[in-house]
Formats: sequence, structure tokens, C-alpha cells
Amino acid sequence: MTGTDLFTPTKRRSRRSVTLVVGCVLAGLIALLAAVSLFWLPYDADDTSGGRLAGPGDGHLLGTDKLGRDLFTQVMTGSRIAVEAGLGSVLIAAAVGITLGVLAAYAQGWIDDTLSAFLDILIAFPTLLLAMLIVAARSATLGSAVLAIGLAQSAVVARLVRILVKRVLAQDYITAARTSGTSWPRTVLSHVLPNIWPTLVVNLALQFGLAVLAEAGLSYLGLGAPPPNASWGRMLQEAQATFTTAPAGALAPGILLVLLVIGVNLIADGLRDTLDPATRRRRA
Amino acid sequence: MSTKKNVLFGTATVAALAVALTACGGSGGTSASGGTWDKDAVVNIGSLYEPQNLDNTAGGGQGVTEALNGNVYEGLFRLTDDGEVEKLLAQDYETGADGLTYTFTLRDGVKFHSGKELTSEDVKYSLEKVLADDSQSARKGNLEVVKDIATPDKRTVKITLSKKSISFVYNLSYVWIINSQAKDLKTTEDGTGPYTLNKWTRGSALSLNRFADYWGDAAANKQVVFHYYKDASALNNALLTNAVDVVTSEQSPDALEQFKSNGAYKVNDGNSTTKLLLAFNDKAKPFTDVKVRQAVSAAIDDKKLLESVWGGYGKQIGSMVPPTDPWYEDLTDVNAYDVTKAKKLLSEAGYAKGFSFTLDTPNYDPHPTAATFIKSQLAKVGITVKINTITPDEWYTKVYKNHDFSATLQEHVNDRDLVWYGNPDFYWGYDNPQVTRWVEQAEEASSTAGQTELLKKVNRQTAEDAASDWLYLYPQIVVANDKLSGYPLNGLNSQFFAYDIKKKG
Repeated sequence: MTGTDLFTPTKRRSRRSVTLVVGCVLAGLIALLAAVSLFWLPYDADDTSGGRLAGPGDGHLLGTDKLGRDLFTQVMTGSRIAVEAGLGSVLIAAAVGITLGVLAAYAQGWIDDTLSAFLDILIAFPTLLLAMLIVAARSATLGSAVLAIGLAQSAVVARLVRILVKRVLAQDYITAARTSGTSWPRTVLSHVLPNIWPTLVVNLALQFGLAVLAEAGLSYLGLGAPPPNASWGRMLQEAQATFTTAPAGALAPGILLVLLVIGVNLIADGLRDTLDPATRRRRA
Repeated sequence: MSTKKNVLFGTATVAALAVALTACGGSGGTSASGGTWDKDAVVNIGSLYEPQNLDNTAGGGQGVTEALNGNVYEGLFRLTDDGEVEKLLAQDYETGADGLTYTFTLRDGVKFHSGKELTSEDVKYSLEKVLADDSQSARKGNLEVVKDIATPDKRTVKITLSKKSISFVYNLSYVWIINSQAKDLKTTEDGTGPYTLNKWTRGSALSLNRFADYWGDAAANKQVVFHYYKDASALNNALLTNAVDVVTSEQSPDALEQFKSNGAYKVNDGNSTTKLLLAFNDKAKPFTDVKVRQAVSAAIDDKKLLESVWGGYGKQIGSMVPPTDPWYEDLTDVNAYDVTKAKKLLSEAGYAKGFSFTLDTPNYDPHPTAATFIKSQLAKVGITVKINTITPDEWYTKVYKNHDFSATLQEHVNDRDLVWYGNPDFYWGYDNPQVTRWVEQAEEASSTAGQTELLKKVNRQTAEDAASDWLYLYPQIVVANDKLSGYPLNGLNSQFFAYDIKKKG
């Protein structure tokens, strides 16, 4: 028993690093595909020279779709779109969420109440409905989908930031900074944000995974990147009818989607262990 | 078989082609392959198209036509599989020398399901119902030539037209004869057909029972039940588990393998009248130029597109006219696939370096697939296509009503819809005064031969002008349990006559 206890820290550390490493490998694989797709693709995106629903092999690593387009090419393009969607959404969610959250935490009284109520409403608002409204106002593009996902997630981020900031603001060193005359933007930048950063980064990483899934969902419904963009969600939708005859069309984007989301979640887990000052202190 | 909820043409399907007694070759077989069949069988029919209501003048959708036309309701005439008109409730009719008066004699001894006898008053009432202000019948416009309906006696109807209309009798085949005393036609019925409505469970099924007092030959089965499904896979699974005996129209070739390789099922490949169009806005640059339209048509390999979407099914067409229309001619050679010619035409039109345009694409299959294909094909001749996916509602407002588009994709389900090219105000804006005149003259022709001759000219002219690019003709695929025979094969758009279906015991 005691032996186990003695070894716990080491074990923890090793499990943590395994989580992080596996996560990085999985997500990195997709990121690599996405990066390569910017410079090189096996076939032209518009190349319909292949056979109808050809199986893997014969010059096509994963086979072809109905129109004779190479599936691997589409999967590569899809990984780029997925990474773009994840990054774009998280950027929007972070920018809007942190701003609103900090404002709500600082502003006491009715402004805080109003902002909190607004965030609650935004959280209760289905992402799908938001996406449909944005698509109706603009048009069905990747940008619209990212905007919808980002806005929906910003509410979650803002609520988290508000609580974290409020907690930090109650600390003695903040009072010290205040009494010494530090301006509040400065306080936020040099004292508040660094203290909430670890928890926030983990949350943003999780939001990245959710955003990727949400984009695939919207594209599946035709509310994301328009054709001929090979979003994974759209590929799944197109391959649905032919799943029994040509399963590769649905399996390939499906598996990559799972790998990316698992990878990012593992990274988030790993980051939580490494970054969280609480766990760090415990270890020390 | 416009598949999804296509606002305009979905409604138009209500009126869509009739038919399907399948007189033509390879018919589903009225002979029950020598076997014995059960006179009191229950036939289960699987469909994706549940009616919105049971009234075909109140926007009930194509499901109304599928379930009720010919089964529960009958017209004065019906269309045969060749698109020809056959007398049904009209025993005989005469046309006046001026071509403006029609005198119909009604069949004797016809009874409505409520027991009342059919009289000329009912015919008058039914026709007036189609022409009423609130009528949503797609044939209302065609029947507005009716000036006066007189009923000299119980079995005679005399109709006077404001101008000659060679299609009048044909259009009458879309008019259901309804009991003038009937109430609530949206949830109940009172027709003269071989079946009466038994029960309609919204969201799941509609059943019809054989009508004992039917004037003609009794139905070959005791009951038919239309089962409604929301998606095609569920429908196919129902067929595999024998929950249904026949599927009225398959929407993708890829689920068919499982039935083809299974001896217990029969996959039938029939004719439809549904065409997939790349419709240019002929009034907007650069599609005002005939050469540009011809070039685009020649740059797209329709055969490969058809193969991609439908596997080995469907047909290529060279114009708006499907083979079942009387003025059909094979025009697939006009503006056929020829990339070199397309490039030449483009440079003659002053677009040697190509151009770019936005393609408004309805967001449901097969439009996005077709748009993707077109984009890749046109890239080879230097034309850049921007695909803009829109909902059916948006399509109706933006494209159909406001004509605010460059080019669009759309499925047109109706038979005999070539005449729309005679209307310069139609959404595609094709304006050729000669064609408009031919269409008008054809409608006022004194014989069907004259009408056919003029519409053949229209057909050729619109094809040569590449008024639109007609990508392909949909197949009509009916899959049925091997125990079944006598079902309609060319159910064409949405009709599904059930009274000849025989089921082995």
C-alpha cells in the first residue's frame, strides 16, 4: 500500500505525459494532413476522372466517390476545413468570451446581471438554430458556420471567465495591486489573466473538439461549407446512401473526425495536469 | 417524382402525369405468372410522400395524386402510358365545328362512394372547384379557357371555351369528379373510383378498401395500404422485412443491389417525365448569347453525370421533351458533349478566356452533386462556377418569382411542359417570338397532328438555342416483392394505380 502511494507521483506524471503525447500524435497527424493539403494534393479537387464508387487501390488510396473524385484528396481537404473550423470558432469564442466575461466580472450590479442573463440565454440557444439564422442572413459558407459555432461557444467561455475572474478578484494580491494604484486594464493583463489562463486553455482545447464536431454536423445538414468543398460532414452526408456498397466514403471522414476530437481532448487532459497550478502545488 | 419538397414543381406534381396502366412492353405483368392469386389480398405500398390533405385543389402535395388518383377519384378521362387520352367517366364526347364547344355524355350507372348517382351537376361542380379563386390546382391556368358549363340533362355536360384549346380533353384528365354534395374533402372523400378511403392515420398510413358498387371491373385486391416513411433507408428496410410489398419510386441506385441479388424481389426500370435542368437566365449576361449557352451545354458530359448519380439507370435527353410526350424526338445530338466545340463557341462569343457565374443550387440531392460535377466540367473550358446552395423556399422567391439569378439547377417533373418555353415571362426568360407563336398556334390547332407538328418545331428550336441545358431524364424505379404483379411501372411522376395489383396467396 505504502509502496503504491510512494510511486503515485511518478505514475501520475508518466500517465499525464502519455495522454499528452498520444493526443499530440493524433491531432498532429490531422494537422499534418491539413498542412500538406495546402501545398500538395494527390488529385485536383475537381478531378472526376476516376470510376464511380471505385474501391481502394488503382491509384486511389481510399477509392473514389460517386463523381469519380479521389476520396483521399477530399479527406485531406476536409482535415484542413476541420482545423480551420476548430481554430476559427475557438478564436471567436475566446475573443468574445473573454471580453464579455471580464466585463461581467468587473461590472457589479445590473450590468453583471444583464450580461449573465444574456449569456444564459445564449447558452440555451441551440447552435443549430443560431447557424440557421446566420446562414439565412448571410449564406451557407464555412465562415457562417464558424461564426455560429464561435458565438455559441463564446457564451460558455464568458461564463467560465466571469467566475474565474471573480474568484481572482477576491484575492489579497489584487486588493494590493488596487491600493497601489494599478489601473484596471493593467490589473487584468498582469494579474488576472495569467491566473485564469491554465483553466481557460484547457477549456478552449475542449471547445476546439466540440467546434470540429459542430462544424461536421452543420455541414452534414448543408449549413456549412458549400459544395464542392469536401468538409467531413458533407462527405458523410454524401456517402450515407452508398454506405453498404462503398463504405470507405463514410468510414474515412468518420474515423478522422473521431481521431481529431479524441486527440484534442487528450491534449486538453494532458494540459490540465501540466498547467493547473493547484495540481502542480500538490505535486510539489 | 420530384423528390423533395420542391415548392413549385412539387405542387405541380399534383397535376403531374397520369397513367400507368402499363400497357407497354415488359409491364409488371397482369398475368400472375400462371400462379393463383388472392382476390382478397391486402397490398402494402411503401412511399415517401404522405399527403398534406386529401384535396388535390388544396395543395395536398404529390402524395394525394399517388394515393387517390384513379384509385379513389376518377376524371372524365385518363391518360394511358403512351400519354394518350382515354375515356373514363365520359362515355362519349363531341366537339363543335368551331372547336369551342364540347358535349360530354356521362357513363351510365356510376355511383359515388356515398351512394349518390353521378350526374352532370357533379361534373360542373368539380370543374368549378378547380377553377375557383382559392384553387391551388396546377392545371387551373390551362383550364381557364372554360367560359361556360351547361348541364342540359343529367347525363350531358356542354362546355364552351373562350378560345380553341387542343389540350382541353387532356387537361380534363386532371380534374377529379367529386360529389357536389360532399363536405370536408380534406380529410374524407367522395369519388367514383374502385376504392373507398378506409382510414388515414396521419404520419404513418392511409388505407383504401375495395368499393363493392364500382361501375367497372372490381379491384384485384381487397385492400391497399400506403405506408409513409421519412427516409429512403427506412423504406428499403421495410421492403426487406416484408412490411411493405412494393416501393413506389426509389430515389438512389445504390440501395438496389440488395434487391437485385435477391430472387424474392423484382427491380423495374420504367420511364419518368422528370428532367434535371441546368436552367440559364436567358435574360441575364452572358447567357443572353446563344453561343455561350451552347458552349456550356457542349462542355458538360451529361452521360457521365447520369452515370454518377444513377449508376446505370435513367436516360439522356437532348431537350425538354421526355419520350412519353407525343412530340418527342431524340435530340441528344444537338449540342452534344464536345469540349473543342465548346471552346470554339466561347471564343466566338468573345469569352475566349472564359467567365464566371453563380449557380443557385437547391440544397437537396441530386442538385449539389450535379453542381459539383458541372463546376469541374466547366473549369476545363475556363468557366468558373460559384456554387450557391439555397433552400427550396429561397429558390421559389429568388429564382422563380424574382428572376434574380444567372443559372440554376432544378428538376421539372411535369409531362408536356415544353410549352413553358413559349412564355417569355417564365423564370428562365427564354424569349423567342417565333417559339411563342408556335406554342400559341399549337394550342389552337384543330388536330393533334397539327399540334404535334408545331410542338416538334418548338422542341427542335429550343434545343438548338440551348434555351436550357437538359442534363438527364430520371429513371422510375419500382421495387416489388416477387409475389406481386400488375403494379404500375411507369408510375411516372406520382400516380400509382393499385387496382390491377395481384398478390400470390
